[in-house]
Amino acid sequence: MAPVLVWLILILCLLISLLKYTFALILKWSVPGATVKKDYTYQPTVSVLMPCFNEGKTVYETIESISRSNYPNDRFEVIAQDDCSVDDSYEWMLEAQRDFSNIRVRVGRNTVNSGKARSVCNALQHSTAELIISIDSDCIFHTEAIRELAACFSEPKIGSVGGRIGVRNPNENAITAIQTFIYYAAFQVYKVPENWTRSVGCISGCLFAIRRELLLEIEPKIRSRHWFGIPVNQGEDRFLTHQTLLRGYGTYINNDAVCWTTVPSTLPELFKQQLRWKRSIVRDLFYTLRTLPQHVWTLHPNTVLTLVLTPLGAILGLLVALTVISGNPMELAGPAPLIGYLAIAAILALVIRRYSAREAVNNPLAFGAYLAWSVVSSLFITTLALCTLDSRDWGTRAKIQEPERESTDGDDGRQDGRSQESAG
Amino acid sequence: MATTDVKMEEVKKVPAEAKAPRIQPMVYKSVVTVYRIFAIITLYAVLLGVLAYGFVMGFYALNTSWAAPVILSPADDKSLDFTQKLVTTRQTLEDLNVDMKRLQDGVAEVTKHRAALLALAPELQAAIVREKQHNRATGPQLLELDKQKQADNLKTQTVMAQIKEVEATIDKDLAAGLITKGDAATQRAALNQAQSTYTDSKIGEILLTDSILEKTTTDTKSLDVLDKQAELISEVAQLDIAIGVAQKQIYEETKQINMLRQALATAKSTPYYLSVDGGNVVYFAFVPYDNQSNISIGTAVYDCYLNMVACRKVGTVKQIFAGEEHAIHPIFKTDIRGFLIQMQLDHTESAKSKTVFLNRKPLFF
Repeated sequence: MAPVLVWLILILCLLISLLKYTFALILKWSVPGATVKKDYTYQPTVSVLMPCFNEGKTVYETIESISRSNYPNDRFEVIAQDDCSVDDSYEWMLEAQRDFSNIRVRVGRNTVNSGKARSVCNALQHSTAELIISIDSDCIFHTEAIRELAACFSEPKIGSVGGRIGVRNPNENAITAIQTFIYYAAFQVYKVPENWTRSVGCISGCLFAIRRELLLEIEPKIRSRHWFGIPVNQGEDRFLTHQTLLRGYGTYINNDAVCWTTVPSTLPELFKQQLRWKRSIVRDLFYTLRTLPQHVWTLHPNTVLTLVLTPLGAILGLLVALTVISGNPMELAGPAPLIGYLAIAAILALVIRRYSAREAVNNPLAFGAYLAWSVVSSLFITTLALCTLDSRDWGTRAKIQEPERESTDGDDGRQDGRSQESAG
Repeated sequence: MATTDVKMEEVKKVPAEAKAPRIQPMVYKSVVTVYRIFAIITLYAVLLGVLAYGFVMGFYALNTSWAAPVILSPADDKSLDFTQKLVTTRQTLEDLNVDMKRLQDGVAEVTKHRAALLALAPELQAAIVREKQHNRATGPQLLELDKQKQADNLKTQTVMAQIKEVEATIDKDLAAGLITKGDAATQRAALNQAQSTYTDSKIGEILLTDSILEKTTTDTKSLDVLDKQAELISEVAQLDIAIGVAQKQIYEETKQINMLRQALATAKSTPYYLSVDGGNVVYFAFVPYDNQSNISIGTAVYDCYLNMVACRKVGTVKQIFAGEEHAIHPIFKTDIRGFLIQMQLDHTESAKSKTVFLNRKPLFF
């Protein structure tokens, strides 16, 4: 009975997904209202907050790419916040500050390692701009990125806007090729229905723009995020998006604002990254379920559906994988799923090559490996995420310093990790 | 409106949080501790599950001594199909046997009739020959006698021409009273007698001519006899054909009966026959071809806990069936080819195990 139920739910989810994707494509091609009306004359002051931890020279490259932005230089600044890197990241920040004098670069440093979310909050203290753009320190930004993000805020109900994240290293190996496909499909297709209702469930932290007043309103919540007293320093992007929605603002992805990130190229790195993401998805689900009535009354039904179904799909994937393995394990090794994946890969590869040549994947067959990865992901990452909700480990970057002490009384931890600013 | 509501809620929450009871950290700590214990147990269980799963998969990929017990119920599809075919075959065999008996009886009867006809044929032939020989001998004699007869009749005819004169004389003598009426009557009777005799003689002459014709030529009587002879020969030929057809049919049906008997004999050596025909409970197991080398009659059967450890001998292999069977691999769930064996089980509950092992314990314990 249980497997039948699981399969029924799976089929239902697949049907919903199919409808959603079909709907997304229809919206994308034929409904102008699915996209925000951008006003490029709207040019608020912008602070680009760049928390950094052990990124080395990459931070220099990141700041360099921002310095080439076509947004008026006097209207934006970069605030780079080092989270006590043990490598030469901080020195590279200072170097960038010196080299790219065409823009204002401010460099700060946390007193103790605090995690990305709190580093953003610390950087925010030095900002007075109307618009805050939080970025990852390993990304390269398109010259249009800031302009494109800012243009979307001409709609007063828009609270947060994200950009499309491309992959810098699509052809490094099969792992990066798989991620290239997934990133592309996620931004170009999956998020389109969410864009339509201005209710994107998660704007990527790689390129996240938010109104200053809104971020200031949410900041205490970011600082005080905890899981039964254990500070939570992961998934701040999902949290911020969620909080934006709950405050009645719209969230949106502008696919014309592009940045490229270096995706994990080894299985352990990918595993840790996916584990971190899955944890934040699970936390978000629990949060949504805990406050479901508020969600139902406040948010658009499409938003509630996204917030509930997306994480539920992850848990369901675990049940499906268990059912398949306990029932007919060889079913996974059959040719049908592989052919299906390869067909999707072939289409995506063509589309990416046509519309985003920079991310063109040389070997689309690599996507076939996603089949194996999806089993690992469904079986282990979801389970591990459910069992390590108390973890504060970022995972993908080595950490030597002691983490911020546990906040057992639920305070906002402002006394910890405060920043020191250097130069201006 | 929604934004304002949320903000209001946030504002209201601050004092509530400020007044959070001091017991909260303890509650949090307890929850986290319980969660961590649960998480550690879960993760170790998952780890053990994965290792066990991997081991089981590897074990069954490498092991060549396992067999999957099969309980054949008379009500399952294969058994029902087998039963139906068995009944049909038996019925067909019965029908063929009855038909054979009828055919054999018929052939015997026809053969007897044919023998009788064949026995009649030479007698008829002999009779014809004898008659021909006789006719050949008596024909000329009769011809000679016929000639004499004709000559006699001719003479008699001349005599008979004078009878009228004699009658006239009698009348005259009677009228003259020379003779009495009695004498006249007597003389007239004598004349009639002579006339009658002459007529008889003429008839005899004609009859003699007929006889001569019969004996010297082929007459219709002879033709009738020849027709009878031809009929006899034809009947014998028809009987020969009927016997031939019947014998051919008997041959075919005998072949068919033999084939059906062979099929029944083969069916009797299948597990399904034992299952549906025998009154006793019989235990079978499916053995994939890969594991064939470990099997012979009398091979020990082991049943194990968790399908691989703490094994004990539960019986022996009683019979190996030749027919190919298809089954689903108990672990990999793939379609595999193999055959069935009959097990003599001392511990009948082992028939319900997922797998048993043949010849040896799979892990030496």
